Amino acid sequence: MREEVKQIQRLLEEQIYIADAAVATALYLSMALGKPLLIEGPAGVGKTEIAKALANALGARLIRLQCYEGLDTTTALYEWNYPKQLLHLKLEESSPASEAEKEAAIFSESFLLKRPLLQAITEHERAPVLLIDEIDRSDEEFEAFLLEVLSDFQVTIPEIGTIKATHRPHVVLTSNRSRDLSDALRRRCLYHWIDYPSAEKELEIVRARVPAIEAGLAARVTSVMQATRTMSLSKIPGVAETLDWANALVALQATELNSEIIAETIGCFLKDEADIASFRAELDVGRFEG
Amino acid sequence: MIQIEELVRFCRALRESGIHVTPAEVITAATVFQVIDTSDRDEVFLSLRSVLATSVDDFPAFAELFDEFWSQSPRKLVERDVITRNAPAKGAKGLAFFLEHWANSLRADGKPINVPGASDTESGAEKDFSAFTNEELEEISRLARRVVKRLASKPSRRWRPVRRGHKVNLRRSLRLSLKTGGELIDLAYKQRRPKRTRLFVICDVSGSMDLYSRLLLQFVYGLQNSFARVESFVFATSLSRITGELKNKTYQRALDRLSASIHGWSGGTRIGASLAAFNAQWLRRIDKRTIVIILSDGWDTGEPEQLAAALSLLKARAGRLIWLNPLLGNTTYQPATRGMQAALPLIDVFAPAHDLASLRALEPHLVL
Repeated sequence: MREEVKQIQRLLEEQIYIADAAVATALYLSMALGKPLLIEGPAGVGKTEIAKALANALGARLIRLQCYEGLDTTTALYEWNYPKQLLHLKLEESSPASEAEKEAAIFSESFLLKRPLLQAITEHERAPVLLIDEIDRSDEEFEAFLLEVLSDFQVTIPEIGTIKATHRPHVVLTSNRSRDLSDALRRRCLYHWIDYPSAEKELEIVRARVPAIEAGLAARVTSVMQATRTMSLSKIPGVAETLDWANALVALQATELNSEIIAETIGCFLKDEADIASFRAELDVGRFEG
Repeated sequence: MIQIEELVRFCRALRESGIHVTPAEVITAATVFQVIDTSDRDEVFLSLRSVLATSVDDFPAFAELFDEFWSQSPRKLVERDVITRNAPAKGAKGLAFFLEHWANSLRADGKPINVPGASDTESGAEKDFSAFTNEELEEISRLARRVVKRLASKPSRRWRPVRRGHKVNLRRSLRLSLKTGGELIDLAYKQRRPKRTRLFVICDVSGSMDLYSRLLLQFVYGLQNSFARVESFVFATSLSRITGELKNKTYQRALDRLSASIHGWSGGTRIGASLAAFNAQWLRRIDKRTIVIILSDGWDTGEPEQLAAALSLLKARAGRLIWLNPLLGNTTYQPATRGMQAALPLIDVFAPAHDLASLRALEPHLVL
């Protein structure tokens, strides 16, 4: 394995992110080739965590753009600061400046509200980590726009001109696959898939992220979660839920995991009434005994 | 060590097995070799996969090909792959059968094949799907496009400028104000762009639906290609997502891709199990702005309880649950099958889908 890949793995582990070779390789390539990394996987498996851990490991700023339906350029890229512009015009009312001069004044950089994408491009210190979270929730038009930004990392603002990135940001995109992303966007990115972790990996994650948990309890939590994921549920719990549950058990000072304690804390990892009912049924017949 | 020629051959093999690799990606893959440890097989595998596979769906095919590529001569691999692709699926029933006989399946004498929904009149709108000509197929596509236009009629969160409205467009207003010395006199307005409804279409292509699935798939194809927010699925005994296959310039090519990807289907129907499979993967994407359309005759060989359970989950989340049953076109038909009986109380709209008129009647139901 390449030394840099190992180093990334080590750096992420320092951030308490358990990274396998696949993730480390993908991140390394993303940085070496300067290409965005698209991470897909079910909800709650730590896609967003990767970007956070990467930013911390690099000592870089994390700029996050949370996508949602209807997200447009005024929320993602920039918007003019209208109150400030109005105020400025009022103050300058009696000034002899021409209309053109006034226009140039209020449409200048100091009246610009930088949204995440513009922030990422104009970050001067060092390359930031730009996290574009849940890109599948934005609409197709925004995706097309994003593609443009990601291909040359420059933005044209009609009133100001073209702003080019001083440092190419490290871009991480995440998607829950709630819709198909365009082929063009996929091809622009390197691709990485995260699935639910194996029992060993999940145990490792629990021990690392909830250090206060007892070894035996951690193993039980992990095995119950792994068994839960094989049930047919409407919302399968992710690693985030495992960690919530483990934290809750530690707070409750539980030392072992019997049916009673599981029943009391179901809400930590199952969030759907029908799911809870079918889990309880399995619990009652002793499926999750140690 | 891997040479560029080998890499190019590997990419060609990937293309042969259905993983679309562009020249740009081949170039990226070549660049990758300059920055990784090419003696580490795992690292080569992981790196190439992250560049050349653009979705987790490609992973199994990629892994298989990667293994073969490193253990046998790539030329042989490519040839073998071509042969399997060209070999026709023998003895397949249901969708596969109809796809193979698509072109010559219209009866030469033009007489309608006798089916339960058949109508007596000869007018195009009421003629049963089983006796359609190519021009009428085009009409189905047009209809699908019209239906799709209705889907985009509610306001969304996106704005667009308008002459008169309720929300002030500050950006334009400020610009206008410069003409009047910074005084806001003329206001510009904006309003919400139309909201888009999502559509999930689940089409039964089992043996009992043979006569209809050809036309219903044409309808689904029309929907799929005029509107980005349609997800399509087909099922007989198991469920397949066909959104990708249907995204094609011509219906014929879409059918070719479809038949290449799903041969070997059996004739039975397991609606409950198929819908449960649908729910397992797609339920969380269904919301109140989603319309779910199930196209099936309701002949289920599985348990009605399973069907009812799957449907009630869908009903709880979807904006509207529509079941189109081609048999409903026959006035003497009673939805008496156990599956249909279990399903009826859970469906918002139960309508026929045996002719053009019935598809047209569907339009008002497709607006949430």
